[in-house]
Amino acid sequence: MNFFYHIGKYILFMRKIIKKPQKTNIFINDLFFEIEKIGINSIVIVFIISIFMGAVITLQTAYNIEQAFIPLYLVGLGTRDSMFLEFSSTIVGLILAGKVGANIASEIGTMKIREQIEALDMMGVNSESHLVFPKVLAAIITFPLLTLFSMFVGIFGGYLAVYLTNAIPVDDFIYGIHYYFIPFYITYSVIKSVIFGIIISSISAYQSYYISGGALEVGKASTKAVVYSSILILFFNVVLTQILLS
Amino acid sequence: MIELKNISKSFEDNHVLKDISLKFKKGETNLIIGQSGSGKTVLLKSILGIHKIDKGQIIYGEDVYSEMNNKEKQKIRKEIGMVFQGGALFGSSTVMENVMFPLTMFSNFSKLEMEKQARFCLERVNLEDADNLFPGEISGGMQKRVAIARAIALNPKYLFFDEPNSGLDPQTSIVIDNLIKDITLDFNTVTVINTHDMNSVVEIGDNIAYIHEGKKWWTGSSEELMKTENKELSEFVFATKLMRSIKKNK
Repeated sequence: MNFFYHIGKYILFMRKIIKKPQKTNIFINDLFFEIEKIGINSIVIVFIISIFMGAVITLQTAYNIEQAFIPLYLVGLGTRDSMFLEFSSTIVGLILAGKVGANIASEIGTMKIREQIEALDMMGVNSESHLVFPKVLAAIITFPLLTLFSMFVGIFGGYLAVYLTNAIPVDDFIYGIHYYFIPFYITYSVIKSVIFGIIISSISAYQSYYISGGALEVGKASTKAVVYSSILILFFNVVLTQILLS
Repeated sequence: MIELKNISKSFEDNHVLKDISLKFKKGETNLIIGQSGSGKTVLLKSILGIHKIDKGQIIYGEDVYSEMNNKEKQKIRKEIGMVFQGGALFGSSTVMENVMFPLTMFSNFSKLEMEKQARFCLERVNLEDADNLFPGEISGGMQKRVAIARAIALNPKYLFFDEPNSGLDPQTSIVIDNLIKDITLDFNTVTVINTHDMNSVVEIGDNIAYIHEGKKWWTGSSEELMKTENKELSEFVFATKLMRSIKKNK
């Protein structure tokens, strides 16, 4: 019953979020601020994760190909498809659930316990929309861009790995990267990242928006935000894969 | 004027407010006092519409606020200034930005006009030099004054204060009390203060309502309060040696 209660409450929460902004100029300012916080401030972590992920996928694939009849360019192809199909959207999504989700939950939770949200409501501001809508929209805009960035960096990481270790010839790796390229894989990954962005930003906001109490509850809300976002990312990863790739 | 007619509020089986009727007058400071857990915070939040009442009516001027839908309530809310217990200032905004916030949301002023109005409000609370500071960089008393400046930015008809002196030293409390009194007179607002600071009660209590076990137990002025024979009220107000000696001297 509790599960359905939260689903209903979450839907009502989302209905309050997606409203025409009361002041467009304030909304645009907030949106750019959130794009910086959610997107630009995540570039470094996405870069670090992606470059190492690309390098490790490349090296592991190379060391697992021992039979002579398997062409070496499959290492490049495997790295590309792994990054495009799964790692750049899902793994980066899970990492951002930790970074961005915890950040949103602690920010809104702190505002809640300090009565700032009640203050907004009392002024006649639609606090849900005012606080959360820019975050959700910023996530929708930045997550696909971070995913595309991760794809590029991951493949570069793979290239660096073969260049530095000579695990396979660099030319074979580059040939594999170009081989049988399916553009829809990028579309698929971008769609997933948009959904993950909505999940992370809205679930984290929902978890913290209704808390009461003190700092302990803010911490609990942040933990729940990360855990529930991660579970939902994994669940929707399966659902979207079935819908988009079957 | 704000009028409460027979309002009741329960949380499941806990009857917090029981058939309370009160009138809060314009240009006067109306104090709600009571022990912790007596229901005064629930009463204040019910008047503000944060809690939905189970029974009765809350009337702002001519408008029955408790029977309005959210859209209609928004109109009244723009006429309300509220100062929360902790100030509820936005930590990532400067003092000036905090005071300008209601103006940017609800006025059609130009940026220059908004700054002028915000500066006027800050001068009114004697904080004209703190405009570029962040809430974390100023004292608790200053934060309360910024919250008051923000509350009066839109020239409200109704002003609410939740424990305005909590966490403040006695001298700062007097500054805040006098400021509330002056602003009430200057802006001719209906001012409602939720407090258990007895100094405020004595100094600025034009009309006082004592809430006991969720009921309106007593109403009167601060002069009447000092002479009260009501047992529960006397036990609450004259609980300290200081208050007993003040009563003795009066």
